[in-house]
Amino acid sequence: MKELDVVLTAFREATGCEAAVWLEGPNGRLVATASSNAGASPPPFPPAHTEPPRRVITARGEMLVTAISGPRAAWLAIGPCGAGGAAELDAYRRFLLPVVTQYLQSALEVEHAAAELAERYEEINLLYTISEILGRAVTLEETAVTILEEVSGTVGARRASILVHDRVTDTLNVVAALGVVAAEAPPIAVDDPNSVSARVFREQHLRIVEEGEMLCDAERPYRKGAMMSVPIMWTSPTGGSEPLGVVNLSGRHGDQPFTAGDQKLMAAIATQIGTAIQNARLVRSSLNQQKLLQEMQLAHDLQMKLLPRADVVAPEATVSARVIPAESVGGDFYNLFRLGEGRTGVMIGDVSSHGYRAALIMALTMSATAIHAQRTSDPAQTLDALLHSVRDELESTEMFVSVFYGVVDPAAERLRYSNTGHPHAFVIGANGSCERLPALDPPLGMVPDAPAAQERPWASGEDLLLLFTDGISDARGRDGERLGEQAVLETVLKHRAEEPSEIVEHVFEILRQHMGDTPRRDDLTLVVLRS
Amino acid sequence: MSFSIKKQGDIVVVDVEGQLIVGNRQELKQKVLDELEKGEKKFLIDFSQTGYIDSSGLGVLVSLSKKIREQGGELRLANLNDDLKTLFELTKLDTLFQIADTRERALESF
Repeated sequence: MKELDVVLTAFREATGCEAAVWLEGPNGRLVATASSNAGASPPPFPPAHTEPPRRVITARGEMLVTAISGPRAAWLAIGPCGAGGAAELDAYRRFLLPVVTQYLQSALEVEHAAAELAERYEEINLLYTISEILGRAVTLEETAVTILEEVSGTVGARRASILVHDRVTDTLNVVAALGVVAAEAPPIAVDDPNSVSARVFREQHLRIVEEGEMLCDAERPYRKGAMMSVPIMWTSPTGGSEPLGVVNLSGRHGDQPFTAGDQKLMAAIATQIGTAIQNARLVRSSLNQQKLLQEMQLAHDLQMKLLPRADVVAPEATVSARVIPAESVGGDFYNLFRLGEGRTGVMIGDVSSHGYRAALIMALTMSATAIHAQRTSDPAQTLDALLHSVRDELESTEMFVSVFYGVVDPAAERLRYSNTGHPHAFVIGANGSCERLPALDPPLGMVPDAPAAQERPWASGEDLLLLFTDGISDARGRDGERLGEQAVLETVLKHRAEEPSEIVEHVFEILRQHMGDTPRRDDLTLVVLRS
Repeated sequence: MSFSIKKQGDIVVVDVEGQLIVGNRQELKQKVLDELEKGEKKFLIDFSQTGYIDSSGLGVLVSLSKKIREQGGELRLANLNDDLKTLFELTKLDTLFQIADTRERALESF
């Protein structure tokens, strides 16, 4: 204590008396903490705190030794003195003792504060280390053992374990443990009445249990002596709190009890572990979701690739077509065929469902039609052949397909068509006429009979064939009202002189205005042909 | 959206409230098939409180109609609103079902 050395040296210069402050060291020996003389010897037989100052005669002269009051065993020794000084020893003691006592008291407080700070520093350092470990890793399993090593090092526990709740089996499973192989530790049922971990998990409250309270065999491997069991909690951004697991610590060095500070520290660490578990779960589910989205996107792309480009029937026909599935894949489709001698086959269809099952039927229908359409230019025969190809599949899945298939022959100025249950097929004339081509049969798959066909005149280069699915006419607006078939027809009639691609654009524009950001419930398909 | 089933004489009357769509069609199917299993033969589905039927809903009606026929039973539909009537006509489904304008006429037709 340098400052006290200076005080004691100044005291010697003023009085001619040596002075020293002695503290009891760890082995009971006295150690000078401050002295006016670096080579001073410890005073023999220092008085106890309760005893009065003691005069000691040494070879170098007389000394007065006084116990200093305070939490530590300390003494003030004054003397030996120069000539005549010994007579003043008592007076000097009365002067010096309060100064030294006060100084020692302050010094001790500083020392205590430093020790406490060091301890806090260790804890903060531990929390920091753990957050760093958790931040680097994606899964808790990678880091759990490292965390336990850090924690047990700081808290001084030789046994430690992290148990995480499995929501499927409703058990607590050891993901990491010190002193036992995690994989060999049996899971603990959350409702196990004997398990400390299970109880802490259920009650969401920290517990410290003594050795005698160990009743659950599954916990035995990672318990030794008293055990502190802390729930791992996760607090959602909305404020709800949910238990995710338990951290257990036991086997403290020297069987020291767990302090309130240990409990606070463990609660803080458990919160960090909880956040890490939750993050890991979110990362995992987000990765799964991303994968699913990618697969759905792939399926969507594949399905869109099955649909032909509108220019495959050029220059005999000018066609514009668009399909927008409600989900990533849908059951709507169209198909276009060049049938020779200037004839064009155009088909629109709707499988009676959505999603993957409908998409499979759609793909099957598309490929079967492609084969059958090339063999005959009679739509009824094509659809009958299609029905034979897909009948078993439709029956087993209880689906059906509404299909319109028309063959336009501009040279003969005829349109021949079959319609199995498709409601929205029209011929729009250049003069503004609008004729529906009604279904001649129920949808494919509902009845075993062969479909029929019908023929009507076709004004080459003028008439428009307009085909759309009920996803368009049934599209709901913000207030739930349907767009309706009439709105589509009016738009097409208004723009009938324009190119098919422009007409399609106009129809989708009124759809956009009608629907806004209302989610689509059905696939949207529109085909416009001029030939 | 729900289905209520009651017996009127020897006829099972099903009321479809709300919509018959992909999300609830299986429920209707199961309810009717349960009755069929119990030996019921005459079924009437009343759509007076039905706003909308999608293509999956139509599919289930066709499937039920087949199954009831296979068991030697009969199915009648009643009270289709104008939109639904148009839908049945446009898709030619009206040729597959016996459809009555009112519940009373449907009941009399068995």
